[in-house]
Amino acid sequence: MNCRSEVLEVTVEARQVEEAMLALLHTILLHRSTGKFHYKKEGTYSIGTVGTLDIDCDFIDFTFVRVSSEELDRVIRKAVSEFKDALSNSGSDGIGQMSLEFYQKKKSRWPFSDECIPWEVWSIKVNVVNLANEQERQICREKVGEKLGEKVINVVEVINRHEYLPKMPTQSEVDNVFDTSLKDVQPYLYKITYQITDSLGTSVSTTMRRLIKDTLAL
Amino acid sequence: MAHFDTEYQRLEASYSDSPPGEENLLMHVSEGAKYAFVIFPNINYVYNMHQKNGFTCMLLGEIFELVMCVFIQLLFVVGFTVFLANCVDYDILFANKFVNHTDSSKVTLPDAFIPVDVCNTRIRDNAFVVFLLIISGVFWLHRLVKFIYNVCCYWEIRSFYINALKMTMSELPYASWQEVQARIVEIQKEHQICIHKKELTELDIYHRILRFKNYMVAMVNKSLLPVRFQLPILGDCVFYTRGLKYNFELIFFWGPGSLFENEWSLKAEYKRGGNRHELADRLASRILWIGIANLLLCPVILVWQILYAFFSYTEVIKREPGSLGARCWSLYGRCYLRHFNELDHELMSRLSKGYKAASKYMNCFLSPLLTVVAKNVAFFAGSLLAVLIALTIYDEDVLTVEHVLTSITLLGVCVTVCRSFIPDKHMVFCPEQLLRVILAHIHYMPDHWQGNAHRYETRDQFSQLFQYKAVFILEELLSPVVTPIILIFCLRRKSLEIIDFFRNFTVEVVGAGDTCSFAQMDIRQHGHPAWMSEGKTEASIYQQAEDGKTELSLMHFAITNPQWQPSQETTHFIIHSSPFPFLCPSTLASVHFGRDISLVNHAAAGLSDGASALRSLSPVSTSLHLKGSLSAAHRAASHTPGMSKAMADSGTDARTVSSGSSAWEGQLTSLVLSEYASTEMSIHAVYIHELHKQQSRGELPRHTWHRQESDESSDSIPDEVRSRNFPRSHTFPTTAPSPSAIPTSASVTSSTIAGQEGASSQGSSQRGYSGPSTVRSAHVPMGGWAEESQPAPQQHGPLPEESSEDEMPPHIHKVNALCA
Repeated sequence: MNCRSEVLEVTVEARQVEEAMLALLHTILLHRSTGKFHYKKEGTYSIGTVGTLDIDCDFIDFTFVRVSSEELDRVIRKAVSEFKDALSNSGSDGIGQMSLEFYQKKKSRWPFSDECIPWEVWSIKVNVVNLANEQERQICREKVGEKLGEKVINVVEVINRHEYLPKMPTQSEVDNVFDTSLKDVQPYLYKITYQITDSLGTSVSTTMRRLIKDTLAL
Repeated sequence: MAHFDTEYQRLEASYSDSPPGEENLLMHVSEGAKYAFVIFPNINYVYNMHQKNGFTCMLLGEIFELVMCVFIQLLFVVGFTVFLANCVDYDILFANKFVNHTDSSKVTLPDAFIPVDVCNTRIRDNAFVVFLLIISGVFWLHRLVKFIYNVCCYWEIRSFYINALKMTMSELPYASWQEVQARIVEIQKEHQICIHKKELTELDIYHRILRFKNYMVAMVNKSLLPVRFQLPILGDCVFYTRGLKYNFELIFFWGPGSLFENEWSLKAEYKRGGNRHELADRLASRILWIGIANLLLCPVILVWQILYAFFSYTEVIKREPGSLGARCWSLYGRCYLRHFNELDHELMSRLSKGYKAASKYMNCFLSPLLTVVAKNVAFFAGSLLAVLIALTIYDEDVLTVEHVLTSITLLGVCVTVCRSFIPDKHMVFCPEQLLRVILAHIHYMPDHWQGNAHRYETRDQFSQLFQYKAVFILEELLSPVVTPIILIFCLRRKSLEIIDFFRNFTVEVVGAGDTCSFAQMDIRQHGHPAWMSEGKTEASIYQQAEDGKTELSLMHFAITNPQWQPSQETTHFIIHSSPFPFLCPSTLASVHFGRDISLVNHAAAGLSDGASALRSLSPVSTSLHLKGSLSAAHRAASHTPGMSKAMADSGTDARTVSSGSSAWEGQLTSLVLSEYASTEMSIHAVYIHELHKQQSRGELPRHTWHRQESDESSDSIPDEVRSRNFPRSHTFPTTAPSPSAIPTSASVTSSTIAGQEGASSQGSSQRGYSGPSTVRSAHVPMGGWAEESQPAPQQHGPLPEESSEDEMPPHIHKVNALCA
């Protein structure tokens, strides 16, 4: 419960899914990334720079800014294309959800794996529509662009609220807060997951896990 | 497109981006030493750990419990029963069969045992015994796993205490919960362990700990849970056992498919009114399944309960036969008497303080007939016993005569039992005063008890809160059989009302999750006009908490947590309802008291009554505290005559004056403070009840939740009961409400939701008596209860069902009432 959650909703055509998701995920990550930390001596560090990149979309009248890190882009693209495939293969009415979850890691002793404690979750709900003709597509192209612009402003507003962010860690702790695997940029630790509408309800395994946990609780 | 780079380029090395000499400007200092990643632990565990005096104590306690309870109780209970049933040759033991011994004629114990191998085969043949053993084995494993899990959890909490709260385990037993809480509030400022808000209040912490308990208290308060029954012979009775409570919690809060998604939030679909019927159906079928499961498991639970009770209580009865006569606060009583936002230890200490007075009160009601009989029986039994004992002393061979030992035992028990029916000669019979002392501790009491303390009806109703331990055990034993019946036949019918309750009375509190809105203790939303919040409350009858629960809870919370900063409005209420009006000169002129000064005088008289009653009960301690408390208040008033006025005007800080006795004694230890606080709360409780009594003459009827049962039961009450002079309170949740509490105009509801089902029963109730002639209109809130209100104008909007208002968060949901 100790976690903020924000929900964004978009309605797009099937071919726009990938770009729309990329636009939103990249926008959030742009604001949740810093340059690499270079620790000097105990407790002090300097922050490297981060480049940005304007990306024009093919199927939407929209341009967004992302961190100019190919590695990060690759990771996000992979997740988004998986989501897109799952969505088109599901054969259902095309409702899905991607979540971008920022978390902190808590080291545990040996028998237990590290605990991930999320502090902010962004859920992007996607609703896919089918359009009949080219004219509608053209309208949709513009409308989705506008909508995405609004969402980006939404995101920026939320991020500007100065709410809880993990504290800046020391050198030994930096892995628990930031994803340090990338060469050129250092986003907060994040996880991208997706759900297709059929499985939006709680799955059996989570129910079972909760049941066991509840019976064991004092 | 991706290759189309802008002019922004990544620089190779970070330190090169600052010109030489300016490096320090771009240096950041990490919050290094301060950085300690503190997660917000499950506050329930934190509280439990405090209550159990730290990790070591708890670990030891758990281990002993595991070993003692599980090993001894379980293995002993089951093993012993199995052994007794299979491996003992009773014929030999009872000397019906003779054993051939060459050396002596004495029968030894090993003779009575059947050989091991025979015994083993006997056990194996007996499916029932195997079944028992399996159950106990599973139970034991469950306990073991639970123990290991708990140790892991509490280890985390231990490090939270040590690292974050900076409390060692050795000092924990000596720290009050208030101190622990203050530290949690403190570290929130530094670490922001709750990320939703900057500062954590005491109320947030209480909400987290007591989330579900508050719901239960509210449901009992609004008579939603089927725990009171109108039985043919027994009359009005309460049945609420641990098993039933467990099932309620299973259904509502944490079982599979419960209303709650996780520990802190209600499932989203239950917050919307749109498909309430569908949800109610689903809930009803779940209750049915759980009821059936209970029914199927009934033998298992029953066997377990009997074995458990048998072995744990025979020992007690043997040691002190009087202990069964001792009373205890019933489970229902604990729910009925609990404030919103009252922690376990607060409730327990309060009730324990009231125990002495309560048992004294119950002892007042010894039937004179029984006393006469008991005196004589005791005399005869005693003389017989004396003769037997004298004979035994003379020659112990008397004991070997058949049944002599048995008769001595029985006579002894008989004398003891009879003794308990003979009243103490030196006891003074003053139930009214005793009841007032009880009220000072338990804080809640139906109105009609006052002035009727000497009646048997009052006593019977009080005994529902304060029952014999024997009855408690008996109910526990009956519970496995009765629980499924209650679930299937009573709770299931209420599923729609339950769904509505959770929707209407759940608010999302930032940082605390979904909580019961009653627990917000908001006078405006849930105040009851008859309980001092007249004019301040905007609650419909459906929303009012009964018995002044909101008001008293607010008082209690403000007094136990002096640091808590309530809203302006709440502060005003607290000042105004202070029994020390001399502290706040401005309040006297205020509307509330100014309207009826005589009321205050009356109330003050009642208060001093209560105070004297308190004093008389425990002459040393209580009066000392009382004096201390009052003198502290006096001092506060005399030291700062001008200031208190200023503070009362400024509003926010003035509350410290009203709860002055605790705030002004800064040099005293917290223990003494809590003593003061409880005394102060007692005075408040007596005072508020007194005011309420003055105010409510010919009062609003209690809103009864259960429409159908109440109607049926009202039909079943014979007229002479109703017409009897005994003034029934409207606020005691009787299943046989006063006639005025029954909706009479059924026709208007028939067009509304749930009206169809409601109409028939209401129609029948109308036939039952076409009683009071006052014009009433039946309002059907969203939940479809036929509730009734004074003819006073109210806001009546169309029903929000299926409308866009359903999307509103539940706290905005005004329960709209449909005007007739």
